[in-house]
Amino acid sequence: MSRYDLTRIPAVKTLVVNRWPQFILRAIALAGFVVAILAGLFGTPVGSRNLSIVFVWIAWWALLILAAVPLFGRGWCTVCPIPMAGEWLQNGAVLGPRKKETGDWRLVTGNLQSPIPSLRLRQWPKRFRNIWLQNGGFALLALFSAVVLTQPKVTAVILAIFLFLAVGTALIYERRAFCRYLCPVGGFIGLYSQVAPLEVRVRDMAICASHTEKTCYTGNADGYGCPWGVFPGGLVKNTTCGACMECLRTCPHDNIAIQIRPVGADLTVARGRKLDEAFKAFIMLGSAVVYSAVMLGPWGWLKTTAYNVGSLAWLGYALAFLLFILGLLPGIFYLVTWAGMGQRVNLRVVRQRFTANAYALVPLGLAAWIAFSLSFVFANISYLWPVLSDPFGWGWDLLGTAVTPWTPYLSRIVPILQTLVLVGGLAWAAVTARKIAEEKRGGTALPAIAYCFFITVGMLWLLIG
Amino acid sequence: MNVETAVLPQKRFTIKHGSWLVLSLLALAVVFAPLPTGTAVPTTHTLHLEASSFAFSPAILEVNPGDLVTIELTSTDVVHGLYLDGYDLVVTADPGETAILTFTADKSGTFRFRCSVTCGALHPFMIGKLKVGPNLLLWRGIALSVLAALIGLWRFRQ
Amino acid sequence: MAAHWLGSKTTVNVEMAAQTAVSSSDDALAKDREWLARALLIHLIFGLLLAIFIANRLDRSVEVRAVMPEKGGFLPDTLTAEVGVPLELSLISDDVMHGFAVGQTDWPAVDVLPGQMTEVTLTFDEPGTYTYYCTRWCGANHWRMRGTIEVTGDEKGETPALRADAASVVEVAIAQPSSPPLYVELELDIDAPHTVDVHLDNPPSAARGETLDANISSSYLSRDVYLTQPPFEVWQALRLEPETAALSNSDVWDLVAASWHSQTTDEKLQLGQTLYNQNCAACHGNSGAGDGVFGQEFDQATAFTDAQIMLGASTAVLDGKIRRGGMGTGMPYWGTIFTDHEIEAIIDYLWTFQFPRE
Repeated sequence: MSRYDLTRIPAVKTLVVNRWPQFILRAIALAGFVVAILAGLFGTPVGSRNLSIVFVWIAWWALLILAAVPLFGRGWCTVCPIPMAGEWLQNGAVLGPRKKETGDWRLVTGNLQSPIPSLRLRQWPKRFRNIWLQNGGFALLALFSAVVLTQPKVTAVILAIFLFLAVGTALIYERRAFCRYLCPVGGFIGLYSQVAPLEVRVRDMAICASHTEKTCYTGNADGYGCPWGVFPGGLVKNTTCGACMECLRTCPHDNIAIQIRPVGADLTVARGRKLDEAFKAFIMLGSAVVYSAVMLGPWGWLKTTAYNVGSLAWLGYALAFLLFILGLLPGIFYLVTWAGMGQRVNLRVVRQRFTANAYALVPLGLAAWIAFSLSFVFANISYLWPVLSDPFGWGWDLLGTAVTPWTPYLSRIVPILQTLVLVGGLAWAAVTARKIAEEKRGGTALPAIAYCFFITVGMLWLLIG
Repeated sequence: MNVETAVLPQKRFTIKHGSWLVLSLLALAVVFAPLPTGTAVPTTHTLHLEASSFAFSPAILEVNPGDLVTIELTSTDVVHGLYLDGYDLVVTADPGETAILTFTADKSGTFRFRCSVTCGALHPFMIGKLKVGPNLLLWRGIALSVLAALIGLWRFRQ
Repeated sequence: MAAHWLGSKTTVNVEMAAQTAVSSSDDALAKDREWLARALLIHLIFGLLLAIFIANRLDRSVEVRAVMPEKGGFLPDTLTAEVGVPLELSLISDDVMHGFAVGQTDWPAVDVLPGQMTEVTLTFDEPGTYTYYCTRWCGANHWRMRGTIEVTGDEKGETPALRADAASVVEVAIAQPSSPPLYVELELDIDAPHTVDVHLDNPPSAARGETLDANISSSYLSRDVYLTQPPFEVWQALRLEPETAALSNSDVWDLVAASWHSQTTDEKLQLGQTLYNQNCAACHGNSGAGDGVFGQEFDQATAFTDAQIMLGASTAVLDGKIRRGGMGTGMPYWGTIFTDHEIEAIIDYLWTFQFPRE
């Protein structure tokens, strides 16, 4: 497939390799993050008038799911402020690799020294080198979503927990272990970054093979060894690449490129498909369906149930939610996959096919999330104007927009957009399912496509029905 | 079409293009086909709507295109409002004072209405539906979904 | 200087790539960049925090938070002020829409919106205890949402001019009640039952009553009768008068209606209706039938459409019930909120449920 190497453009290359643009973006994001936590803790408890809720769950979320993920994949991870503090502690520097007094480059050794004196940074435990923890984290967070999305204090506490977890992890484990193995957001960004038309890849594998130092992994004077613990030469998919740009800095042979590629290119790469990622696809798809029903549906009792965390009814809701995303959705998919394979196959093969076919759900899930988000983002983005003027609800009026009334935007067009997005997602999922099926002789895409069709119709009914 | 006249190496190519053409035409037909939006004679509707604890009751209202609709909105806990998507209409109701919203349902389709006055944590999710005639967008969407699913199956069959 | 730091990185990068040794000038440069980055970060984050902190301290007005009455109502619910010294309040709601007004003043009520600060300035001319209260229904206990302002200082000789430049700055002049309420003066037991056995086929018509040529004593039309006598007793008395002998029972009721109607004005009824809809209808119902949305929360709210209850009550009794509230029901007390004129207007409006306007 054809690729266009963006880093051949000198301006792009400079913009990416130079540390300042990224640093400044991250510094601004960090400042925003800190202010969001403060606003959540000390600002008004009214979500629609508090920066934490409006910025995080409307503005940031809109940017992430409507633009950053579909266009840039892990673009958000490139500028995410959450791991910054941990990285500084690990690196002993906020900008670039620093020469220690001893004359050694700190990162040349892979940065094994913990900021805690006399503690060596450990490798992330082998059994957790997957995204199951991220799956669990997201599912857990999703159970509380009605509260998290509406209560500034809760949002602030969760943001703060993210920050502390990231720092804590950085004190014990190598590299950005939090981002790769723990961050509930990072998990699905990774999954959906497979559809993005951008990728960081090695230009010529032969050069990597002959390069014994592997500075992209170990780091050198120009940059840190891959913070995500990935050897760029082995990259076939976007999922684990954090798009942090370090390898573009460390590669002495200018052998790493950011390329424009056909969308969804990773989905049909047979190598490296994993059950944890397959489940991520179900968790995300299922959450989009449940959220659409709970938050955008006309059923008030469902909203109240989801909100009354700790009540018996909520426990029932939580259980139903988990059963739906972890049991029912994958269960049916497993059964139709099995049914599509005929009688005489062993279960191990069914499981492989199940995992492979689940990658067809990636574009569908992303489309479902975009369609879901279009509803509440356009209906509520006008909350941004007062919040920009008065982030804490303290009576400020920085921009003169403190009393701008709430006005839904594009309420006539949004349902049409949602329809197009969902149908587009289904078409994409169907094509992906077919390509995955074609990998094996006699494979059929019919079950997966039928499954996707019914999910799409369900989403259509929930969102525009 | 010109399948018979084409030479063998080009045959696949042509069929593929033919399929795409058929599919595109079908998609266009689905999107633009004039479908009836209901033939009922316009009448006058008075719909009573109760708003409380993040829900409208009844949450789904149905009228016919062209009807003169009067919505009587009663709040039974705190001040609520109603914003009707697509029509861009707003009304606010204090408990004890029934608010009246009168309009002609001249746009057909299904429209969300939402609370327009912050009424607590779940306020942004206080949503109901107004159905004006058949929901053609939904049916077109489902028909397009069938075509989208076919895109996956089509080439596989060749 | 900064431009040099920012710009030179990539070129250095490529050149350095194959080298293992780094020159000391590059070291210094790297160190300078690092310090610049740190300085930037510290200034950005701490500057922002400091700015937020300072801005927060700058506002010296008194903050009054409004939450649903079950969660505390107005916080705080007691304020102090001095005569002639402007009291600056920042009003904000933490949950739903509330309102703010000061009882017995003509100071206009403001809405207190969720998460949105409303600044008001009150200046009191006279010392005393003022009641502030919520003006938008925020639940069944809405009326419990009240607070008091203790105003101390000397009474001011003259009222300072109204400051016209700021809309929210309004002088507050309280209309202090000069005499005790009527029911106290008359020593009425406003809790005593006052149901009468009366059955009307049609609501009495004041318009018809006015056209009837009954030469009744003008004492029946006096304000005193209106204030102190229940309509049923007036009807009974009239019925015994020889002048009404030729009239039917319902004709006499029309006369009573006309008498009651003559005690009010259209403006007063209009005011009464507005106040009733805002403050009473949530329990007693728009139609006065006791079927308001919160009517069921307490014992059934009184139906003003019920002739047996209403026609046995005098204006003085209704006045007492409105002022004092209670009665072992959820009825709020309005004595500290409404002015005498407003209570009169409300009662006038209540009578229209029995004696409808045409």
